[in-house]
This record gives sequence, C-alpha cells and structure tokens, in this order.
Amino acid sequence: MSTYAELQVTSNYSFLRGASHPDELVLQAANLGYSAIAITDRNSLAGIVRAHVAAKEYRIKLIIGCRLDFKDYPSLLCYPTNRSAYGRLSQLLTLGKRRALKGSCHLFLDDIIKEGIFAKGKDQIIITIPSNRKYSQSFIKHLSLLKNNINSRVYISVKKGYNGNDNRILKQLAQIAEKLSLPIVAVNDVHSHVSERRVLQDVLTCIRKKCTIYSAGYHLSCNAERYLKSPKEMTRLFSDFPDAIKNVQKIITKCQFNLDELGYDYPIDQTSQNRTTHEELEYQINLCMSGRYPKGVPLKIKKQVKYELALIKKLNYAPYFLTVYDIVKFAKSRGILCQGRGSAANSAVCYVLGITSVDPENIEILFERFISTERKEPPDIDVDFENERREEVYQYIYEKYGRERAGITATHITYKAKSAFREVGKVMGLTEDTIQALSKSSWGSRQRTKPSKERIMEVGLDPKDETLNMVLGLSSQISGFPRYLSQHTGGFVITKNRLDSIVPIENASMDGRTVIEWDKNDLDALGILKIDILALGMLTCIRKTFEIIERHHSIKLTLANIPQKDQETYDMLCLGDSLGVFQVESRAQMNMLPRLKPRCFYDLVIQVAIVRPGPIQGNMVHPYLRRRSGEEEPEYPSADLEEVLKRTKGVPLFQEQAMQIAIVAAGFTPGEADGLRRAMATFRHNGNIQIYHDQLIRGMIKHGYEKEFAERCFKQIEGFGEYGFPESHAASFALLVYVSSWLKCHYPAAFATALLNCQPMGFYKPAQIIRDAQEHGVEIQQVDINYSDWDNILEEKSTNLTKSKISNRNIKWRNFRDQSTSIRLGFCQIKGFKSEDANTLVSKRKNGYNSIPSMKDRTNLKQSTIKKLALSDSFQTLGLDRRQALWATENLKDPKPLPLFSFFSTEALQQEAKVKLKNMTKEEIVIADYKSLQLSLNAHPLSLLRAELKNKNIMPCKDLATVRDGNIIKVAGLILIRQRPSSAKGTMFITIEDETSNANIIIWPHKIEYYRQSLINSSLIIVEGKLQKEGIVTHIIADKIIDFSYSLAKLAKPKVTKSSNIKQKDLQSNITNKRLFPNPRDFH
Amino acid sequence: MKRIISLWLPTFATDRLNQTKIKAKYKITVNEKQNKEFPLATVQKLNGVKRILAVNNAARLEGIKTGYTLADAKALFPELLIEKADYINDSKTLETLVKAFQRYSPWTAIDLNETNPLVSLIGSGSIWIDITGCAHLYDGEHPLVKDLYNYCLRIGYQARIGLADTPGAAWAVARFNNALSTIIPPKSQKKALAHYPVMALRLDPTTTEKLHNLGLNQIGDVYNVPRAPLASRFGLGLLKRLDQILGLENEPISPYRSKPEYLVRISFPEPIGNKQDIKFALDKLLIKLCKVLEKNNLGARLLKFSIFRIDNTHMSIKAGTSQPSRDPEHLAFLFQEKLDPIDAGFGIEILILQAIETNKSTINQFSIYNGITQKSNTNIAKLIDRLSGKLGVQNVIRFYPVESHIPEQANRAVSAINSTEVFNSWANTSKFLNNCHLARPLELLSQPLPIDVIASIPDGPPIMFIWRKQKYKVMNSEGPERIAPEWWRPRKFSSNSSTFVPKERDYYKLEDHKGKRYWVYRNGNYSTQKITKWYLHGFFS
Repeated sequence: MSTYAELQVTSNYSFLRGASHPDELVLQAANLGYSAIAITDRNSLAGIVRAHVAAKEYRIKLIIGCRLDFKDYPSLLCYPTNRSAYGRLSQLLTLGKRRALKGSCHLFLDDIIKEGIFAKGKDQIIITIPSNRKYSQSFIKHLSLLKNNINSRVYISVKKGYNGNDNRILKQLAQIAEKLSLPIVAVNDVHSHVSERRVLQDVLTCIRKKCTIYSAGYHLSCNAERYLKSPKEMTRLFSDFPDAIKNVQKIITKCQFNLDELGYDYPIDQTSQNRTTHEELEYQINLCMSGRYPKGVPLKIKKQVKYELALIKKLNYAPYFLTVYDIVKFAKSRGILCQGRGSAANSAVCYVLGITSVDPENIEILFERFISTERKEPPDIDVDFENERREEVYQYIYEKYGRERAGITATHITYKAKSAFREVGKVMGLTEDTIQALSKSSWGSRQRTKPSKERIMEVGLDPKDETLNMVLGLSSQISGFPRYLSQHTGGFVITKNRLDSIVPIENASMDGRTVIEWDKNDLDALGILKIDILALGMLTCIRKTFEIIERHHSIKLTLANIPQKDQETYDMLCLGDSLGVFQVESRAQMNMLPRLKPRCFYDLVIQVAIVRPGPIQGNMVHPYLRRRSGEEEPEYPSADLEEVLKRTKGVPLFQEQAMQIAIVAAGFTPGEADGLRRAMATFRHNGNIQIYHDQLIRGMIKHGYEKEFAERCFKQIEGFGEYGFPESHAASFALLVYVSSWLKCHYPAAFATALLNCQPMGFYKPAQIIRDAQEHGVEIQQVDINYSDWDNILEEKSTNLTKSKISNRNIKWRNFRDQSTSIRLGFCQIKGFKSEDANTLVSKRKNGYNSIPSMKDRTNLKQSTIKKLALSDSFQTLGLDRRQALWATENLKDPKPLPLFSFFSTEALQQEAKVKLKNMTKEEIVIADYKSLQLSLNAHPLSLLRAELKNKNIMPCKDLATVRDGNIIKVAGLILIRQRPSSAKGTMFITIEDETSNANIIIWPHKIEYYRQSLINSSLIIVEGKLQKEGIVTHIIADKIIDFSYSLAKLAKPKVTKSSNIKQKDLQSNITNKRLFPNPRDFH
Repeated sequence: MKRIISLWLPTFATDRLNQTKIKAKYKITVNEKQNKEFPLATVQKLNGVKRILAVNNAARLEGIKTGYTLADAKALFPELLIEKADYINDSKTLETLVKAFQRYSPWTAIDLNETNPLVSLIGSGSIWIDITGCAHLYDGEHPLVKDLYNYCLRIGYQARIGLADTPGAAWAVARFNNALSTIIPPKSQKKALAHYPVMALRLDPTTTEKLHNLGLNQIGDVYNVPRAPLASRFGLGLLKRLDQILGLENEPISPYRSKPEYLVRISFPEPIGNKQDIKFALDKLLIKLCKVLEKNNLGARLLKFSIFRIDNTHMSIKAGTSQPSRDPEHLAFLFQEKLDPIDAGFGIEILILQAIETNKSTINQFSIYNGITQKSNTNIAKLIDRLSGKLGVQNVIRFYPVESHIPEQANRAVSAINSTEVFNSWANTSKFLNNCHLARPLELLSQPLPIDVIASIPDGPPIMFIWRKQKYKVMNSEGPERIAPEWWRPRKFSSNSSTFVPKERDYYKLEDHKGKRYWVYRNGNYSTQKITKWYLHGFFS
C-alpha cells in the first residue's frame, strides 16, 4: 500500500467538468495501489454514493469530500472527519442550494466561518486551492482568516500541472505556508481517471462554454496532466517537498467518516398511549381488520398477518408502514383515489391497512418478494394517486414533516446516444441539418449504440467521414454521463431527524418542491427508504366518471362497491372491445383479449401480465393459450412445481413464480431467490448472473430435475428480470382494469366523457374515443356557445335515443345505464381556445347568447377568440353555420368603442348589406372540423374518398370480416398508432382507421426499411397485403405501402370551379396534412 | 389604355447559374444525349441549418422543395448539385436583365413587391414591362410576347408571360395560367380573371385564408360581394388589389434607373503627357470626386484611375484604403508612387476617376476639434495605406491573436489594409498570459531548430545544449510547460513530414552564462517515446 491518495478529484457529477464516472476513478485508484481516494465535486455530493459502492467493491478507502465554490472567496476543499461533520457539510450545501435556483448553489465564506459546518466542533479538514497567480496580501489574509477559525486543519494544496511555473509557485506557497505555519499537501486536481480522457474533457468544456472545439482556445487545458498518476510518479514529482506527500497520509488517517454510518431513521416515533411503534402498528391493524373483513377474518389472512408482523418486528419496519398508512389515510380523507401497486400487494398487512386493494385471499402472495431478511434493503411501497391531485399529497407531506425532513428523490438524467450526439456534434462543428438528419432517423433511443452505416447513408451522410466518426465515437463515450438532476416521479424520502444532514436538498424546477441529490439506486445502496407517491391518470378518469354518474344518476360509486364478477363486463372484454380501458387498450392487449377470453378476475391478472416483453420473449404466450383453450394438457415436472405453476397452467408468467421455482426446485432461500431476480433485472450491467445460473442448475439437478429442463427454466426466468410483472402488481392493475371496463360497459357516455376530459392519456385521441362512444350508441353533441362548458359534459337528452350511428362491431346492446344522456363536447376540444375565455363565456351566459355582436359586448372576448368559436362551428344555436358565423365575426372590432359611442353599439351597426355566402361542401365541413377540433362529428375523412378508393379496389376495413384467411387485399386508412415494441425484433405494428372500422397491420423489418419514408411522413396510407386470421383477431401482413396523403391534401384545398387552363396550385400550402390530422401516436 | 407585361422567371436563381461550369466542378461527365438539365439547388444557412432556397425544374421533379434541409434533399436525391445562394449576384443579374429588356420598351422595372427580397428566398424573378404603344414594332402583341419568350429561353431563363391592361391582371395570368404566355385582350380582365383563385390578387396569406374560410375562393366570388362589408372585414387592402387588377385604380410602375456611379472625368482638348500634368489633373479629379462622396456621406475604399490614350489604348491603376476616406490629399498620396510607371505614349486624352467601392464614411474629417484619438487613428490608417501602396498589400501585415496553446499557432497574419478590426483582442489574450505567469518569447522562430541537449530524464531541465556546433551552459532554467497537440486538427495537415507528427512538447526557459535567454522544447516525452528530440523555438530579450 502506498502512501499517496488523491484528494482533489472532480468526477462527472461536477457536470460538464469531470470526464470520468466516480466508479471509474475509484477503480483506477485501486488498480494503481492508492491507499485512498477522495471525491470532491463542486458544491455537490451527488456522485459520492456511486463512489462509495465502488470503493466497497474494490476495497479501497473512500474519502467523502466536496469542493466548496464561494461567491465571494476562492474555492476550498472540505472533508468531514466524522458523521456529525458530514451532516453539517450537507446542511451547508442545502443552505446554499435552497437560496439559489435549481441546479445552482450560492455559498459565501461567512456561511462557514460564522456558523455552518464548524458550529459544533472544528472537525472538518479544509484544503485551500491557490490559483497559479501571484500570491498577494489578500490571499495571505484569507488563509489566516481560515486558520484562526479552524485551528490546524487548514492545508494549502500544491500541484505540479506542468504549467511552466510549477516550481516557482510551489516555492512561494511553501514560503507562505511556513510563515503561517500551515502544512502543504500534494494534489493533482484530477479530472479523469486516465490521460486519454483529455479529448472527452475538452469536448465537455466546449459543451459547458457553448462553443466549438475550434473556437474554445484558452478555455481548454493545455495538456492532459489532470489524471490519476501512479503513487510513484506523484512521489517523484514532489521529491523536493516530501511533506506534501506525507501530509496526504495524515489527512487520510483523520478522515474516518464512512457513508455506511448514515443509519436511516424512520419518521414516525410518536404514538398514542405510550405504545411502541410496533404496538401501534398492531393496534392499527386490529382497528382496520373489521373494516376489511366485516364477515370475520379468514384464517389464511390471520396467519399471514401474524407471519408478516413477526418479520416486520424483527426488521423494525413498523414506522415505515405507519408512515405510508398515514399518507393513504390523508388521501382517502380528501376523497383522492389511491391504490398501492407493485410488490406491496404481496403483503396482507398492506391490504388490511387499505394501502393496497387486492385481497390476498384471491391471489398467491409471496411476502419475500416484498420484504426479506437477507436483503438489507427496505421494502418498496408504491402508491398510485390521481394524477390531478397528487400535488395535494405532496404538500401534505411537506407540511407534516417539514422541508428538512422530507424530500423527493432525484433522477440523474444522463446523456443518451442521441442527446450526446447532438451536443458533441455542435462542438465538433457539424451543421444543424446534419445533426438533425441523424437525430431524426431512428437509432439508439436507449442503448449506447452507433447508427449503422446504412442508416447514415440513408440520411445522405458519408459513413467514412472522419469528423462524423469522431463525433459518434465521442458521443458513445459521453452517453451515460449525468447532465443534470431531475426529480423522480414520486419517490419521497422522509426521515425522523433532519434529512438535510444525510443528503443535500435543492429546489426543484417546479414551485414548492424540494429534491435531494441522490437517486433511487443511491438510496437503495445506503438502505434509505423511500415511499413512491405515484400519479396515475386512470384513477383521475375513474374519479371523474364516478362524479358524473353521481351527478346524473345519483349513484355513489367507489372502487370498493363496483359489482364484482359482472359477466357483461367480461363479455365486452372478450370481444376486444376495450378502448379507453386501463392497461388492456393497447393493440397487443386488444388482440390478446379475444384469445384469452377472460372470465374472472384472475384471468385479468394474467391478461395484464402476459402481454409483456418478458413472457413474450420467453415464448410463454402460446403455450399458455394452447393450454387454456384445452388444445394441450398442462404438464408439471414435479408435484412441488405443480403447486407453484398450477394457476398459470404450468407456464411461469410472474416474477414470483420464477422466484418460487428457484426456492422449490433448486433449494434457494427466499432471499437468494430475490437476489436472483435482481441479478436478472440488472444483468446487462453486472456479470454476477453466472453465479446464480450455476447455483440454479446445480440445485435443480440435485433435486432430481433434468439438466435440460433446468436450463429452460433459467432461460424463462431470464426473460422476466427486466420486463416481467410481479403477480401482485398485475393484480393491482387488474383491479383497475376491471373497474374501468365495468364503467365502460355500463356507463359508456360517462366513461367517455371522463376519458375525454383526462386527455392526453392512453393510446387514443379524442376522435377515436368519440367514435368508439358513438359505436356504443352514445350521442355526441357539437360544441355550442349556449350549451358547452370548458370540459366535456353529459347532457340529459330531450328526445329518445336515435340510433343514428349503428355499431359495426356486432356489439349487442348491453345494459347501458346512461342512455338518457348524450355527450356535449366542451370548449377544451377547440384548438388553441383558452380555459379563461371559456369560463368568461360560461359565467356571462345567463339565459344564453342570441347574437354574435351581443356576445362580444357581454363577454368582451377578443375577436380572434370568437373567431375560433366560429371556426369550430359553435354558433349553431343561433342558426348560423360556420361561414355565416365567420362572416359576422370578421366584422367585430377589438378595442371596445368608447362609452360615448356605445350608443352605436356593434349591434346598431348591423344594418349592412346582406351577403350571401356559398354553402360549404361536405368535404369542406369535414376538413374545417378537423382543423378546429381534430375530429369531425359529420363524417370520417375517408368516407369522402370512398368513391376514389373503390375505383382502386380498396375495401373498407369493415369488410375484412368477410374475407377469408390468406387472401390478398387492399385497405386504406389514417394512421392512428405506430408501435415498434422492443420485444418484436424490429417489426412495426400500425393501426389504421377508415370510416367503417380499424385494421391492424404488421410490417416486417425489411419492409420497414423499404417503406420508411411513407411510414414516417404520411398520415394516410394504402396497404396491400395478406390477411391473417386467428379466431376473431385479424391482421394484414403488409406487402406494399403507398402514401396516399396527397388525396387528403386535395380535400383540404378550397374548391374552385375548374377552368381549362387555370393552375390550382397548392393554394394553402400552409395547411399540410400533418397539421390537419392528429399525428399518429408512437409507442415503443 | 395601358398594356403591361408581367414577366415571371420562376427558376431565375438556378437558371442564372451556369450548369456546364457546375457540372465541371462536380466532375460530372455527360454525354451528348444526356446533356439535359441536372437537378440543381441553392442553399443558405439559416439558424445553423443549411436549407434549400431555389430549385430548378429537374430538382423539383425529384421532389425537392424550397425550405427542405440540405440533408433531407440529399437523402431524396444524393447527386443533387448544390450552389451557395448568392443574393448579390442574383440582384445584379436581375438588374442587367431589366436593362436588357429595354429593347421591348423603355419602361421596364423590377417587380419589387415580389422580387425584393424574395428573389433571394424563392429564387424567382419578376419583371414589369410596360409595352403601351410598343407592340406595333413587333407587328402586334402576339409576336412581341413570342419574341420575348424566345429571348428569355435563348439567354437561359424559363419564363412565364402575362399581358394585360393592368399589372395586377398580367401578374395573375403569368403565374396562375398553365400556358407559357397569356394575353388578356384589352378591357376584358374582369371576365378573364373571374375563375382565378383569390391568391392571384397578390394578397397576404392571412387574407387569403380568411377568404377561403368564407368560401370566397375565386376572384369572381369577390366581385359580387358588396364593397362596404368587404372593407369592414378585410380592410382596404383587398379592395385596392381588386381595383388594381381590374384597372379601377392606377398602379404606377416606376421604371428602372441604374445606380449612381461615383465617377468623374476630364477630357483634354490637347493630349497631355507630362507627369506633372497628370498629377495635377488627378488632384482636380480627386477634389471633385470627394465632393460627390461627401454629398452622399460616403468614403472611398477602392479607387480606379483610368487613362485613355489617343491611340485608343487605355490602362488603369487601382488604390485601396483601409478606412473609407474622402480626403483628397490622402487619396493623392496613394497614387503618388503609382503614377511613375505611366507611359503616356502619344498623349492622354481622357482621365476617369471612379470610386469602385464605397462605404458609409465613419470619419468626420472636417471636424473643427480634430480630437487627438481620432487623429492618431486616422494617421495609422493613412500610414498603412501609404505603406501598402508602396510595398504591396500583401507585404504590410498585422498580427491577430488566435486562441491556441500551440505557440506558433497563436497568431495569424492579415494584410493590414483589410483589417480595420479592433486591437483589444490582443489585450484580452495577454491578460490570459499574464495571469498564468506564462512568458512567450519576443522572438519566435518561424521554424524550430534542432539542438542537442543534456538533461536528466524524465523531465529535468537541460543542463547544457549545443546549437550550431556551439555549446551553451545553462545557468538558470524554468519549466517544463507541457503543451499537448490539438487533437481535433485533421491529421493530414500535419503529417507531410515525419518530424512534424504532433507530440506533446515540454517547454523550458533557459538562461546561459552570458545571460541570454532561450526557449527550447523537447518533442515527445520519456514515458511514451524513448527517443525524443530537442528544439530551440525562440529568444527572450
């Protein structure tokens, strides 16, 4: 072990400064034989947990430190020597960060001198960073100021940076040090772990300075000396000043703080009536028990709760459960819908407390998936709240625990291949169009890959170009570098004592939120517990549906009182009629529904879990379907495994089952099994999967299973790691699937209204939601100034249901309970209309408006606003069609006439010559509808092209039902959705829509390459291909794809009487199809 | 009754470019048969993105449109020929064309509404020709239009021609009729235009869209709408355009006038030959020219002095200035040396002095205060002008700082006369150097000279060095300053000789026993290369 350790190290958590990851630095230090290494990022401790984890792995001492950049003085390096000193450093950083905007930190020297980090003892080590300038009196004064306040723990850093004047500076500093009797200490101001990273560091500097490499000049360092040099080399460099090296050792000895000392303390400690927290938890469970099981607690549950409580007691997790319970109780008291998800649903305790809503009686639960003794990590309880009201829960937590004790987990946003390419490209002087060309084409959305040669050529670039290759090489190095801290989607960390003494807290970009510096992995590594307060749009949608139903039908529904086992609901799902339903509305799910034919709640659990990359890649879908339909008998290699796999017919579908296989068949302990699952989840990053692989195979052979079977099991388990669902999670989701299906089935109008008001959400756009509602017999009313609200609303119908829109999906008339209502579209559907304007309009409406000018007088809305109403055809109650309304609107003048002239109010000026406008053609109406509302209640755009399509032998999508499997057919439609799931090996699934129905297209990868331009750029396509039928499910395997968008463009053009020679150019080239029709949604 | 031609050159900007030359530039070999138009486009960098501006017909057929990014266009048609958009030459050429079309009528003009600045943006040109009373010279309108069309083709331009009573109507039919040329007989434009789209009224896009929304798609639709409601909705602009097109309102066309030339001349009744006389005449011309410039608040940057001899030969002398000037005395200095070689031959009959390039004058030369700073600045400029005039522009240079750690790349020589930029960039740079205590030698050798050195490895300073067979004992030294090569420079520039493959350099400041100070460096270092070479790179004072 050598004597040298590097004390000034900038990692890439000093954003755009350091050129190495903390773990790279730690590993290199360990390889070079350092006795220790410090990480000193600028005003930040964000990277130290990673370094800490690496240091433990590579068995090297990590010194926690920080470079303090002051607004008023030169920077200092600070190293806390014990836990309390660390806490004060963290609080100091919090102080500086809370003063400043997100991402910056404002510190002043007074913050440390007057109080702050030295308040309770002078137990920090401070190293000053002298500049390589001449040392003036003010520098010496600054040093003595520090010295007087911090006793002997101030050092002066010296370095050999090969700057030409190193020796002179060193001598000067040594003299000053002697004069003040301060020790000097050697550092190398390390910015990267190896000198080769200089290139990357120069690029980072350019990104930071927003300049190109060619103009960066003196912003760049003149050499590559700021890397980790070997201890021998460092000793040689400071051979004239051996003290500088010796003092490094002194500092290392003094710095005894280790991050593992950050014991986590649970937030709730006060309990009523002197109970301990655990007694309190038991007490609360007993209180809740009768609420959950009014007919008496089943024995299974009693046993499970007892078992869980014992484990909770052993691990002392009671306060955690109480904290979550408290938050859920708050949400329920406010009427905010919430539901636990994820592994927490494996716990009967959570169910009893009302944190989760899946009755453990109905599903197999595996508590070890949730909590295990082996795993030192705390349990992970995720709770979904309504997305629109989650902020209320947040603010409750802040209020209850205070800013010092609660904070949101950070997410370290890193460079992705494309963002890296963009930044590096700019630095290396690529032009914007080159950068855009490559960023637009699809490559490397997730992985750190380079685009293929073909892709580069496709966008018209030269794959052999030197600069381009350099850029691609550098960007793949930068991808993975952190670029800024963002907030986690809902992870709250709450502590009993001050959170800011564990980790610095900073302001988030959103008002009223504060975020800690560490992310989820960091917290996991240190065993700090977080509670996920997540947001779920569907909960909002369900709450809104409940409200509408209550208003119109006076029925109060809750998540709990929805009738269970409703066969009509399952009938509906079996038809794949699930648009808008939670989780099962995607294309793949819709296809699976008719095959799987769910008939009970557990079927839904499977439905949710089976259409996932894990089971799909593990080839589990088809065996399961075959066994379910009875084509194949389930077989079990042993009775033990039959127990585990029975509910899924011998096919492992859930993470829990994978774990249980390991436990039952290979003799894993529950904790080891969880370790296996985790290793799977991260096997791309770590190599320790092999250990589990061997253990599993050995274990299974020992238990009498065939090796081949064991290998197959392992393969299957492998698929889950990242993409499988735990059963408990699937069950939580299945509950929402059931509730939303039930609402869609019985209250289609209310459900569609709520769905429209929750947009954007889910897979579909308003046009499809409305169309689906119409097909279910729901009547839709046009936006109208005298009837509409901002939101879409339900209206009582005056006349009886007119069956104008007949469903084309053979949907039997179900027991619709809201047939007496129709949906009135709201002003929110009008493109660019503002809610304030809608509110004005509604609040001043009284008995209704009777003319446009009088409306203008009353509401004082701007002419441009009223024009939007006219364009959306909202003046029908006044007997004005779109053009007439527009004609009247164009005449409005914006500045209100002065009071003196109000005598000539706009109304009085109405006496102008009557003008007769041409009636709009059907095409014009539909186009105008789409322009303003992105949908049309009048006709589907494809219906206008039908005659032309018929000539081309293109059939309506509806007629596909009558065509036999294997026939070659042609259809045309608007592209609704493009999907390229990672599990499908590059195949693209698109859904197109015409006026009759939808059609599902499958495009194999080689066709995608060929038709890429049409697929990406057009909104309307013609597809020719082979029909493939499997029961009720129909696909078209695309052979030819033709861009047919120009025909839409033709529709969009104003109609002009044809005259022999007059050119009808693209008169309105500004209205392209892309803007007219909603863009397809892309899912990956 | 007027008769107006609207001549539209839809692909003006690309037609202007010489296809043959461009093909040669791109090394495209074409055989006789294939000698047709090649897809060609002009590009312009806008907000960092190279975008297509003008396209020719061949490129349009490939689907390339104005506004595409270059990368998109290249993806569509990889062999697309590209030229940089050149507004200046576009408008110059258009001016020439307008002059050329005066063969049809003296009353021609550039259609500024469309052409300026749109010629640069969409690459088309638009020209008015008022042929009222001219048609009979060509035996009628049809032959005239035909001739005009053929003339355009002959000089290489696609053309669309509209002829009508009003400019508006001519403009509309030139663009919105598929025919190459359209003639609307006198007084019939109202009927003829009824079926044209409203866009042909030369309206802004907002008004056009408003009209479309109301179903008023054709010009004829608008005829029947009462005027008052139209005016109150669309303002007077629409009505004005409508009236112009119908001839109810006059739309004057201002004829083309060439730009003023700053030119003065003297012709001598008797030829002169004496140098003194020439000088005297030049002085007079300068005074005259400077007065013209003063009137226009301009100063000359480049002057041309042309001498016409009686034997019908002529020669010219040019002189440039580093700052715009209209000081006759100063300008006379610039010509002083250049007058000597003039060979008057049998005698000079005409002298012309022309300011070819002018700039807004920044110098208030007749200020009554004559502020010191101002004066000194002008004096330097005058000095530079005179030196450049005497020694040649390329021989009077000025150094600009370049931010680079590599010493020999830290400056750039620029001909002094073309560099009026500020000097304080040096101030910034030297601030940086001072901050770092980094000294750079006063004299830097243009080529580092190899020396032999005795120094301790790996990075000890030299103890002794031999340069030109002479030993130098090092008494004092400082360093090393390690300067790494600039990795982003393309290799090909530096690898012409093997000695110049860039390596890390360690610079040392050395002082010999006589007190002379040297700047030497070791090329490469011991950790990576075992054999390293030493060079002398400069001298400190």
